[in-house]
Amino acid sequence: MSGFDRPRFLWAVTGLVYVFLFAPIFVVVLFSFNGAKSLQVLDGLSLRWYEEFWRDESLRESLVASIEIAAITTLAATALGTGLALGTIRSRTRTARGAALFLLIPLVTPEIVAGVSAFVLFAQVGIALSLTTVVLAHITFSISYVTIVVRGRLAAMGSELEEAALDLGATPWQAVRLVTLPALWPAILAAAMIVFALSFDDFVLSFFTTGESPQPLPVRIYSALRFGISPTINAVGTLMLVVSLFFIALAVLLPRLLGRRESGLAVLTGSRTA
Amino acid sequence: MTGAFWRRFLVPGALWLIVFFAIPFGITIAISLGEPTELGGVLYGFNPGNYADALDPLFAPVLLRSVGYAAATAAICLLVGYPVAYCIARYGGRYKHALIAAVLLPFLTNYLVRTYAWVALLADEGLVNRFVGEPIGFLNTPWAVIGGLVYGYLGYMILPIYASLERMDPSLIEAGKDLYGSPRQTFWHVTWPQTRAGVLAGGVLVFLPSVGDFVSAQLLGGPDTYMIGNLIQQQFYGADNWPFGAALTVVLMAFLMIFMIFYLRGSQERREALA
Amino acid sequence: MSECAVELDAVTKRFGDFTAVDDLTLRIGRGEFFSLLGPSGCGKTTTLRIIAGFEQPTGGGVRLDGADVARVPPYRRNVNTVFQSYALFEHLDVAENVAFGLRRRKVPKAEIAQRVGEALELVSLGSRASDRPSQLSGGMRQRVALARALVNRPSVLLLDEPLGALDLQLRKQMQVELKRIQREVGITFVYVTHDQEEALAMSDRIAVMCDGVIQQLGQPEEIYEHPGKAFVAGFIGISNLLPATAANGGVRIGTGALIPAPVPDGIAHGTDVHLSVRPEKLLVDEVEDGMASVEGTIAERVYMGTATQLIIELAPGARLVALEQNTARARADDRWELGDRVRIGWWPEHGQVLR
Repeated sequence: MSGFDRPRFLWAVTGLVYVFLFAPIFVVVLFSFNGAKSLQVLDGLSLRWYEEFWRDESLRESLVASIEIAAITTLAATALGTGLALGTIRSRTRTARGAALFLLIPLVTPEIVAGVSAFVLFAQVGIALSLTTVVLAHITFSISYVTIVVRGRLAAMGSELEEAALDLGATPWQAVRLVTLPALWPAILAAAMIVFALSFDDFVLSFFTTGESPQPLPVRIYSALRFGISPTINAVGTLMLVVSLFFIALAVLLPRLLGRRESGLAVLTGSRTA
Repeated sequence: MTGAFWRRFLVPGALWLIVFFAIPFGITIAISLGEPTELGGVLYGFNPGNYADALDPLFAPVLLRSVGYAAATAAICLLVGYPVAYCIARYGGRYKHALIAAVLLPFLTNYLVRTYAWVALLADEGLVNRFVGEPIGFLNTPWAVIGGLVYGYLGYMILPIYASLERMDPSLIEAGKDLYGSPRQTFWHVTWPQTRAGVLAGGVLVFLPSVGDFVSAQLLGGPDTYMIGNLIQQQFYGADNWPFGAALTVVLMAFLMIFMIFYLRGSQERREALA
Repeated sequence: MSECAVELDAVTKRFGDFTAVDDLTLRIGRGEFFSLLGPSGCGKTTTLRIIAGFEQPTGGGVRLDGADVARVPPYRRNVNTVFQSYALFEHLDVAENVAFGLRRRKVPKAEIAQRVGEALELVSLGSRASDRPSQLSGGMRQRVALARALVNRPSVLLLDEPLGALDLQLRKQMQVELKRIQREVGITFVYVTHDQEEALAMSDRIAVMCDGVIQQLGQPEEIYEHPGKAFVAGFIGISNLLPATAANGGVRIGTGALIPAPVPDGIAHGTDVHLSVRPEKLLVDEVEDGMASVEGTIAERVYMGTATQLIIELAPGARLVALEQNTARARADDRWELGDRVRIGWWPEHGQVLR
């Protein structure tokens, strides 16, 4: 073995990366409980910034708005995305193959392009910007995420289950309803949780499609930032982190909790070992 | 169950994407060929001049800078991300899954809040400057922006590399050690070729969003570090020159599409070569 | 009503340029245990899927119980399939899995409960009715798949390599079980496998397939003892294939010697043929008058437990494999050493002359 102790060096690098990744988050969370109004000095722990957040009516409205947007987006995107998944992975027609390629484009579209396009659509068609326009934009860019997650699961499942259903006397519609969708359920749920987190966290799209009030929380954070950093933002930021983490955790754990053998991680990555 | 039966399911989703994605982009292209009016609106026409403006010496550097920052970001992500992915994959043992999940977790949370966290740390009245005598201007520099981009997208590099390492057959490394002797040689001749696809995927996943990013530049940089994203945003909020903004948007999209096509062609060829 | 459960008439199936099934004609009788045997890619599974209705033939016709089923989808055919991967519905328990087909046909609840109970008893899984498939072992899942298919009382049961995933012991057990169940229930079984021992042990008749074509069709003994083609001889069991030329009353092998063997009508003098003899038909150093025989040297001895394979070299490159049982009376190891010169004989009628 050479003198260069590889594992130790690699672990050192990895450790540094972990610090790099989590330190800023840790600082934000820590200072959200800061007793003093400072970003440099920690003076006792208190919940005053959370109280300030709660007292601020418009911030509260923004929180509620973000949740509403995420919820509606999740429902719609999951339904539309699952349809696209079913339609493109089991069908070999030209339409299906074209759709399969087409739906990949939103995934590689930079958010700013998406935001501009959405903004321009609403402006030219004459729809005033509001929470509705935010929802419409969010749905549009969440659909493809649902599709790839669900498609991965469909591909792994293979069509034998549906054939077995047909063999036993089910019509194609019955097969989808009674066999395909139940088997797909963990993947659909995992995708839904991801969409919720993505929508709740989204900034760029929301920025271009939001109305005056209420605005989604990330947009509020951004506007507040233009005026300099304030500890209340730490509180809001921490809250947002907690919500995202919660939904990601659900995405991974729910399938397991519902009594399926595979964990969400396996469902999302299509692997058989996670 | 025929293809025609299944095809029905994709109709609602496809229609939605056409109405809310394809058509708006079409409108954007139309606007890019128009003229701005005083009221901030658009007069449709055929003015490719907006594209000429985009490539104008005044604005071309912005595009180049975006590509440059994105490339630097991808390079740094590779240098930092590969060792981490390798370490977890090879030496993680039982904790492998927890470790990789922990690394990826931040990237599933709010990008804005995370970038803001760096602002909180690096700002003149931020935490880092408290420990340094005189406040150093960390912000408003290219490295701050690149750092922010790395912080935003590192996970997208780590994941594909980790996945490709996991897919590798560990006995290949053993065989390589027998064959090549030194760990360095084994790495270059055995591990690296197997993970090249993951590295490329990671590179694309980091590079593409970075080019169009504007959060990092906005929060961590200044006018000297403007990226194309900031420029586009300006045209719609402030400069009120929608056609120019639209042209920039189309240029950005076209650049990325071409890049993607080359990447997909390349990976197709690589897959066929292996088959 | 026709005598045949399944009739395939000149069925062809093409996938693009590839012909999976080529002009196949077949008649399977009621209550028969019929096997489609062949290597991977020979078209046996495609043929099965055509009978089930999952593939439409490119040409030719399919009749089930005398009726043309060209326009009948799988869910309206009186045929059920046991899939290679079992395809159990993980979100339903065992009883619901088995009841699935009955529910689709709107069978009354009481009857469903009764028939499901019977089906599970038939496969000895009565006690596991409320378990989930994920809680069962591979062998049990296979039996659930079987019960799920049989409970519908189809006129034909299709089985696609159902025992492939089981280990050897379990497979042997299930072979006996399946045969027993088939006899008890009396349903026509169409069984796809690549395992020739399995096919020989279980079937009433076997169709040996290769490249989408039936190479030989007949009863197991017929196929084993009298293979009609070199492919069949080589695929089923081990066979010795000696290149030879057809002559009067026999064949001439490489050494020039004339070996007595039954030459079928239609093979002219001088045609290049193969002489096929099964290893167990070869007698080593026990040659009697009237037998065909050759001389050779023992090149290798392979101990296999119940028997010993002796590989005897006649001439460089020409080898015969003989099988000597390790009986209570004698062991091959005690009788012959490597390098021993021996005489091998067989009864002429055990030699097959194949093109």
